[in-house]
Amino acid sequence: MVGILPSTSVTSFDSKQFSTSFLSTGGDVVVKPHKKLAFCRLPSVWFSELITLFTLDLRARNNTTMSSYSESEAVAKDFREALEDIQTIGRPEISNLTIIARENIEHALAISGALVDHIKKVGCKDFFAKLAAPHKKLPPLYVLDSIAKNVGTPYTLFFSRKLYQTYMDAYAMVDMATRRKLEEMLKTWKEPVPGSIDTRPVFAPDVVRPIENALIKVRTTALQQDQERLRSQQQLYGRGRPAQGVPYRETATPPGARPPSQAHPYHTQQPPMQHGNGLYSQAAQPPAVSYPSQPPNIISTSRSTTQPPSSAFQPPHLGGYGLTQRGISIDALNDDIKRLTTAFQAQLAQSPHDLIIQTKLKALVDLQTILQTQNLPQEQLVLVKNQIADLAVNIRAPPAQTSTPVSLPNPVAVAPPPAPAAVPKVSLDSLFGSGALAAIMARNSATPQVLTPQPPPAAPAPIRSPPPQIDPHKAAPAPADPMALMNMLRRAGMLPPATPATSTAPVPSATPSAALPFPLPLPQMAKNSQIPLPGTIESLTSDIMLKASSLKHRFRPQLLPLLFEAQGPQCTQCGRRFPTTEEGKKRKTAHMDWHFRVNQRSNETEKRGLHRSWLVDEMDWINTRETIDKDHIVQTGDTDPTSGNAVAKVPKTQYIPVPDDPVLAASVCPICQDKFETRWLDDAQEFVWADAIKVGDRVYHASCHQEAFKDGGGPPPLYSAPMHARSTPEPVLGKRKAEDELVSLRGKLKAEAV
Amino acid sequence: MAQPGDELNMSIPGLGQLAPTAAPIAAASSATPAPTTTQTLEPYWEYRFEVPHGSSLTIKLVSGTAEKDGTELAPNTPYTFSATKSKINTWHGCSLEITAPPSGIYDAYTSEPTADETPMVSYLNLHFKLESLRAAAAQKSAHMGPRVLVVGPPNAGKSSLVRTLASWATRMGRQPLVVNTDPREGMLTLPGTLSAAVFATLIDITTDWGNLPSSGASAIPVKLPLAYYYGLPQSDDNPKLFKRLLGRLAVAATSRLAEDVDVKSAGMLIDTGGVPAGARAVPYYEFVAHIVAEFSVNIIVVLGSERVGSEIQKRFAGQTTSVGETITVVGLDKSGGVMDRDEAFMQSIRESAIREYFFGNTKMTLSPFTQQVDFAAVSIWRIDAPTKSSADSGGITYDEGETHPADMLEKAEPSMMMQNCVLAVACASVHDPPDTIRDANIMGFVYVADVDEKRHRLRILAPVSARLSDRPLLWGSWPEHMVNLLI
Repeated sequence: MVGILPSTSVTSFDSKQFSTSFLSTGGDVVVKPHKKLAFCRLPSVWFSELITLFTLDLRARNNTTMSSYSESEAVAKDFREALEDIQTIGRPEISNLTIIARENIEHALAISGALVDHIKKVGCKDFFAKLAAPHKKLPPLYVLDSIAKNVGTPYTLFFSRKLYQTYMDAYAMVDMATRRKLEEMLKTWKEPVPGSIDTRPVFAPDVVRPIENALIKVRTTALQQDQERLRSQQQLYGRGRPAQGVPYRETATPPGARPPSQAHPYHTQQPPMQHGNGLYSQAAQPPAVSYPSQPPNIISTSRSTTQPPSSAFQPPHLGGYGLTQRGISIDALNDDIKRLTTAFQAQLAQSPHDLIIQTKLKALVDLQTILQTQNLPQEQLVLVKNQIADLAVNIRAPPAQTSTPVSLPNPVAVAPPPAPAAVPKVSLDSLFGSGALAAIMARNSATPQVLTPQPPPAAPAPIRSPPPQIDPHKAAPAPADPMALMNMLRRAGMLPPATPATSTAPVPSATPSAALPFPLPLPQMAKNSQIPLPGTIESLTSDIMLKASSLKHRFRPQLLPLLFEAQGPQCTQCGRRFPTTEEGKKRKTAHMDWHFRVNQRSNETEKRGLHRSWLVDEMDWINTRETIDKDHIVQTGDTDPTSGNAVAKVPKTQYIPVPDDPVLAASVCPICQDKFETRWLDDAQEFVWADAIKVGDRVYHASCHQEAFKDGGGPPPLYSAPMHARSTPEPVLGKRKAEDELVSLRGKLKAEAV
Repeated sequence: MAQPGDELNMSIPGLGQLAPTAAPIAAASSATPAPTTTQTLEPYWEYRFEVPHGSSLTIKLVSGTAEKDGTELAPNTPYTFSATKSKINTWHGCSLEITAPPSGIYDAYTSEPTADETPMVSYLNLHFKLESLRAAAAQKSAHMGPRVLVVGPPNAGKSSLVRTLASWATRMGRQPLVVNTDPREGMLTLPGTLSAAVFATLIDITTDWGNLPSSGASAIPVKLPLAYYYGLPQSDDNPKLFKRLLGRLAVAATSRLAEDVDVKSAGMLIDTGGVPAGARAVPYYEFVAHIVAEFSVNIIVVLGSERVGSEIQKRFAGQTTSVGETITVVGLDKSGGVMDRDEAFMQSIRESAIREYFFGNTKMTLSPFTQQVDFAAVSIWRIDAPTKSSADSGGITYDEGETHPADMLEKAEPSMMMQNCVLAVACASVHDPPDTIRDANIMGFVYVADVDEKRHRLRILAPVSARLSDRPLLWGSWPEHMVNLLI
């Protein structure tokens, strides 16, 4: 039985070795030594070997299903501990965890549970002292992303169950910059894995779409909110300053005098139709109507739809999931709300006309009412808590946004949402709007969303999760614009052409077997133009690692056509495939010629009686070149079967079949006294003497003969008798070149070739 | 305990009906029409069959696609199998037309695994991983393709995996060099040899590895092996000689790679004999280490044994090859289709291999030559296992066995002992010193049909009409002598 881990392997990396690699990734966090397997700090090679050992050991120890439960737990625990150690978005950490996930794919359920759990927990602990906390959400989400992309099923299936909740929780909690990254990540989930020809997206559309819808609502509402706020501020500060596009007039513009399209948004339910780019033309539905008066209603709406039919938002409390939320007590929330209410009241006292503060105050009061009267599920408490938290931040740092709009001359109807990246902290309200919050809580996914959110102009950081180490393409620094990367990959043929809008894309089934109803590739079908052959073999196989788990656990149907359809239809005689390309057709022609010649020749030779041939010696074997389907290409137009120049080194017609006569077969070249080089000539299907020519009863090296009897002028007088030629042969054109290096191999065999 | 080396895949050049004597029997009984059935396979299913020597099973692919060890069956082409245990597998589903032998002696069943169950998926993934490495190597002319060693216990399907990987590689236009280091079974040549051959195109699927060159034209391109005669069944029978010959084979193989760019980028696939049980496993791992070093193996595939896997992992994982690459060890499951092959079956396989070497098969009948040779006209060298005591020590300390030249050949006088034995013909001169003869590759085999001690004459069967007096003949004990080839 195998021991646990060879202690030498564990101790062989000291922390110094690791920390250099860690620091080189720009990690700014102190790594505390890990007591267990030191998962995330091993150089990856060592690391994966260790894991292999580890798994082997686990398997060896646990052959029963009984023990696999505790085994899973142990793996999940180690995984969680490794997760807890990552604090930065360093590539090695994430890819190491991905490898762990891959290696322990049989514990996918436990690992995915631990990861989701961790994402939920991290950064939640001390909420009001949380300033540093939210950024911790991103690394584990990147791990999730990386596992989903690089390992795939079954992880994606497990993640999918709670993806909405996991994502939205994190989204609600993190700051703006991180949100951007999350949005970027979400976008990649709708795409196929880069470098894979599997056209299915990372997560199934029905998993991603609810998140998208929620985000769209959030943004739409936020936009409306923004505008309303801006307008209200304009009203407050600018007093009738006309909106964009409206010629400025000196006269004060009373609300009623505005153009219809600019109708006072404040008390209407007019959607922001002025966003003529169509991006948000669907934005009419969000319930976030006129802000000040509505939030209570909205939240009460959410109350009435507390149990939406769609279960993804409120999955059954699985495993330890519910436990993580125990920290949110309604009393604590009530206290928080009370404190906030007081603070807002104080603010309101200072600026009694601040509508923002007014509405916030009202929202708080409403929240409090809900909390006291309703028994909200934990998930919603989280959102409530998040909202309160942001309000709390807001109240501490006097709202910056109340002053910023002043500096903007006419920002009202700016078409795309103004990039808020510059704003360090934005209140939840201004982002979500209470209506959006309600929408999320109710998760009213009935609204079809045809739109894809426009990519933000520039992502602050590369979003894609770290690639597996073997992928050379992704190793290059990712361009800032993910679309640019996609386009680049597409141009390079690494990705299929742009996929249509996600919501209209055909939804392949999640089960791989069902998704690939392979037709029987009969020859005529192979001509089908739909043969997928994008990308190089490297890109198609980049996810295959030389690890048992990677090799064993995943059938990659996209590879199969490379052995079948992509190779073209079969030769009816022998079953080989030839592509239908120009080159392939040439080869096929040569191949069919070959079949013809072989058939012809076997008819001839059968009469003579056949026998097994001797094998060649080392030298000749080393110099043999397999020549397949090349004859036709080498010498087009020459249809003489006997002169097929199959062995490239043998000049045409300068070979003879090895003589059957034993005496002649043992002869040497009379000129150089060297033996003849025996080769298997595939085209002729027999052994030949290369560079040989038969003159009368004698066989010469063709090159020797040519040299000796050059130009027909006969040899120089001194060498009148070719028989007495040099005893030490010099290299002659057309003879083998590798002689010098391989002379030692040659054996002491001289003259006789049988 | 199964004999080491009893693997699914026999290494015989062709498996047709061999003995001329067998033909009449088949003809006599073929009066009754052979029953034909249609077998439909779903994707990933396998049709496994066992046909004894003297019986034959004909399989024709009617629709779909099917492979035997990675080589595709041509549509509507009958393939006749004899003296084999093998399987036809399909990725897309297929319909096979099976024509049973008239005698009815064969055994077949379908195995119906799913994509999740069949180890073929992992082999396919491995192939494509190797393919990406080959593609990378082909782009940089200085780089060698992957050198893959397959190890595992007996009957794990090692040869079958090597063959499958080789076949798939040729289908992608590669020319891998396949090396056999298992003397119990030959690759393309007879058992008792260590051999290497470049596979550039498809393997005749009615054979294990394809056909040897003969004077006739083969409908499927022949394979040209380079072979060295070890003449003993087990690698530890004569460790010094075994390692010596491995070294020779490695030098030639490496030279071929260096000279031949197509082969270089495709790399090597190396088959091994099964890991023996007990104490003999220790020298076995020494041989594996030797192979890994000599052939610069950078990927070791352990088939069907976690125990062997952990041992190999311990010894090799993370080490670097002579060219500085890291050695990777991968453990894969063996195919459920691997059948135990008993020793009697293996012996019949070896016998039919020898028959086929001289007489050909149903597709191509060969006419060997017999000749009478005087004792004095032949030079016969005996390859022997060292005595038991030195063999024991040789297992561990053979490296410093300087005083005992166990790897040396001994000159042998013809005797009755040689009757019905197969001798290898060394590619050397009778005048060469013994160590040169020992190191030489072989040209082929002859068979001692008769030893007439009174008249000092041997009757020898040779594949070609040639003078044997010029060539040293190597006399080993493997393949074992057989009943009588000429009856």
